[in-house]
Amino acid sequence: MNITQILFWILSGAAVISAIMVVVSRNPIHSILWLIVVFFCISGHYILLNAQFLAIVNLIVYAGAIMVLFLFVIMLMNPNKTNAQQKSLWKKLVGVIAGGCFLLTWIPLIKQAPEIHNKVALLKDGNIGLIGNLGKVLFSDYLVPFEITSVLFLSAMVGAVVIGKKE
Amino acid sequence: MNAIILSAIAGVVMMFSGIFSKNKHALTNTAIAGLLILLIGNILDTYHVYTITVNTHDMLHFDKFGASFNSIAIGATLLYVLLSGRDIEKVGVNVAEYYALVFFALCGISLLSSFNSLLILFLGVEIMSIPLYILTGADKKNLKGNEASLKYFLMGAFSTGIMLMGIALLYGATGNFEINPSQSLINVPLTHGILGPLGLLFIFISLSFKVSAAPFHFWTPDVYDGAPSVFTSFMATIIKSAGFIAFIRLFSSRSEDLEVSWQVILPLVIVATLLIGNITAVFQQSVKRMLAYSSIAQAGFMLFALYGSNDLAREGIILYATAYSLATIGIFAILIRMKDYTFDGYNGLAKKQPLLAFVNTVFLLSLAGIPLTAGFFAKYYMLASAIKEGGHSALWLVIVALLFAAVSVYYYFRVIQAMYFKDGEAEMSETNKGFRILLVIIACIIILIGIYPSLLLDRLYF
Repeated sequence: MNITQILFWILSGAAVISAIMVVVSRNPIHSILWLIVVFFCISGHYILLNAQFLAIVNLIVYAGAIMVLFLFVIMLMNPNKTNAQQKSLWKKLVGVIAGGCFLLTWIPLIKQAPEIHNKVALLKDGNIGLIGNLGKVLFSDYLVPFEITSVLFLSAMVGAVVIGKKE
Repeated sequence: MNAIILSAIAGVVMMFSGIFSKNKHALTNTAIAGLLILLIGNILDTYHVYTITVNTHDMLHFDKFGASFNSIAIGATLLYVLLSGRDIEKVGVNVAEYYALVFFALCGISLLSSFNSLLILFLGVEIMSIPLYILTGADKKNLKGNEASLKYFLMGAFSTGIMLMGIALLYGATGNFEINPSQSLINVPLTHGILGPLGLLFIFISLSFKVSAAPFHFWTPDVYDGAPSVFTSFMATIIKSAGFIAFIRLFSSRSEDLEVSWQVILPLVIVATLLIGNITAVFQQSVKRMLAYSSIAQAGFMLFALYGSNDLAREGIILYATAYSLATIGIFAILIRMKDYTFDGYNGLAKKQPLLAFVNTVFLLSLAGIPLTAGFFAKYYMLASAIKEGGHSALWLVIVALLFAAVSVYYYFRVIQAMYFKDGEAEMSETNKGFRILLVIIACIIILIGIYPSLLLDRLYF
């Protein structure tokens, strides 16, 4: 086991454990904090895959901006413990069975999938995930979708103004 | 490319004209002029007279099929604005923005009719959907509209997430975003893996949501009912047909990758869509809600194009999009002017407004698929394409579809019955001459296509 593999397993384990904690936590604030840990672990994976820019953006946008928004919303809504509805045992049981069936179908599928079996990610060199390379691809091969995205954002902005403006 | 660029520019122009002009009629006229320019630009593109060429790196593929559909979508929007422009002005104060959003939605539609890359598919679906979320909630004082808008947005965002997951899985399977990958970066045939079929299934689910096919139709009645009626008309017709164009472009080249499951899933979805749409429509009391369920039922018929996915299906979907859009736009234009949206509100309309009652009858007959109207040939082409593709194994599906078409006659004829054979005081707001002339023109087009469908279909080849 070299250092990359050790790092991979540590990050994977941490990601899975904290993802479980997101779901298990009773307090929504704790859930969000655990979610931030998940994002950090995933960013670590991105760095291992030579996608440094993606890792930073993931941290800034998701762990930074979006999670702060989440926190704000939850604090504004102020959900009390008494508010949380107690789910009946029946509902829990059905949920466990449905989720278990889903898992059962997934595990053999993934185990047999030839795309994943004994394959490692293709890494050319350490520079591939740098912002310079990303920019070159974005403004040459993917120029048309990049420009079209502006229409998407424009329509979203127009919509935000229409909804937010006082009549 | 003309349609994509011009519609984006027209949207921006509409936004700015809102600053300079507070006159709502002037804004409507600007939008009509914009749509005319767009239509001319697209026709020039169709016949290769003048095209703005951009190196798209094979992400967009322009063909007659897509360009013809663009013309139909833009033409239907033009008719829609001409008919209901006055009603769009009444929805709220931000009229310029509403038109801008309609233009952006058209930009999304022209992307969907020409995409060759999953990236563009995603952008097109989003550019088409986001304006709709806002238009649904345009009437901010209407609580039902707000609820519909929020519901539509949340569910739409969720379905977009599913689509993105599907695209990611497909990318994992082939290593590129092309819908018809010539070579796979990973040397595994797509059919043997799990990622490819699973990704396609996710995209299928997401697109089924957009066209409100059966297990994913739950948002449709509430959203169509809650949205301002003018925008329901736009959503139920042009947007829905565009969803089917995207469907056909993607799955006509990819459906064999799903192998056996495709032959099981699609008939199930078709039958469920027909069943839920038609049976629920029978029990509705409001015409607007009935039209929402009937649009689900019509989606069931349009799904036959997917089942066939041959030349007949491509011709059929163009015909169906035209017939269905024109008829529904006409019915909604009349519905918006009614005081009472229930079936009883139509009682005795034939005595007060004989002309409007007659054109409304033509539209309803076309939706029901009665011969001599465009709807008949649209349904015929759909079923014929299924027979041509599936042979005897498709026969049961066609028989089921015919049975449900017979059911649909019941609820369409309820409106006709109310108009002609019941006494009552159908109340309607004032209609001017231009409105009535336009409706007659639309009815004439429907009958003309119903007699000579080749008038439209020849455009696909010449």
